[in-house]
Amino acid sequence: MLMITRRAGERVIIGGNIVVTLVEVSGQTARIGIEAPKSMPIFREEIWVEVMRENEAAAQAASGRLPDVVAPLTPPATTAASTTPANVVDPSGPGDSGAAPESAPPPSPAK
Amino acid sequence: MTVTLQSTRFGAVEIDEAAVVEFPDGLIGLGGHRYTLLRPQPDSPFLWLHSLDDPGLALPVTNPHLFFAEFALVLDDDVAVQLGIDADSSVAVYVTVRTAESPADFAANLRAPIIVRDGRGHQVLNQAPGCELRAPLFRADSAAASAA
Repeated sequence: MLMITRRAGERVIIGGNIVVTLVEVSGQTARIGIEAPKSMPIFREEIWVEVMRENEAAAQAASGRLPDVVAPLTPPATTAASTTPANVVDPSGPGDSGAAPESAPPPSPAK
Repeated sequence: MTVTLQSTRFGAVEIDEAAVVEFPDGLIGLGGHRYTLLRPQPDSPFLWLHSLDDPGLALPVTNPHLFFAEFALVLDDDVAVQLGIDADSSVAVYVTVRTAESPADFAANLRAPIIVRDGRGHQVLNQAPGCELRAPLFRADSAAASAA
């Protein structure tokens, strides 16, 4: 890892289009300003790691693990913006509205 | 034009090229740039966000509004501008689902939803207060409330 010592107000330039500014140092905390192209996502590491782990956990699902029919316990929100799934492919054929079924009993909730 | 999706879970699936969703930044921590949404069970609220490049990479997802009446998606202004989304935009929102032996242990990630519009997808951080990383899909309090 490249280590660079900076004083408050000093900057580091990465790749010509990313500027990292050490804004302020106070005790154990440093405030860092980052200017980068808007297309470049920037995350706090701990949040990025949390989401990565959740994605990895989701990706472990076996194809048979999902219940065939599960009725949500809470009704769909009516005030929400449109969430009509676009780009949905149904390999078993067309004709699904995307709505959740209403006929199945919900699974017993955990205590 | 169709493309063939190779899947360790579902075998070979022909999909329309228009159903390919490009993720310029991949999924957080997983990468991958080309996915599609599969609905193997027509009546299920669950879909699979399936990689076109890795036959083994697929995540169950669902529409959060089906399970969480209070669900809201709040984006950082910078992110919304970058993605070209405002309050009136029509986007599809999905959340990843962590499965388990019992449906009671299923959980959805409301913290990092996936938005899809015009064939492009992004996993974004939800700035809405209280959105959980592992929100139980089937809540005990919902059943208790309806029984009361």
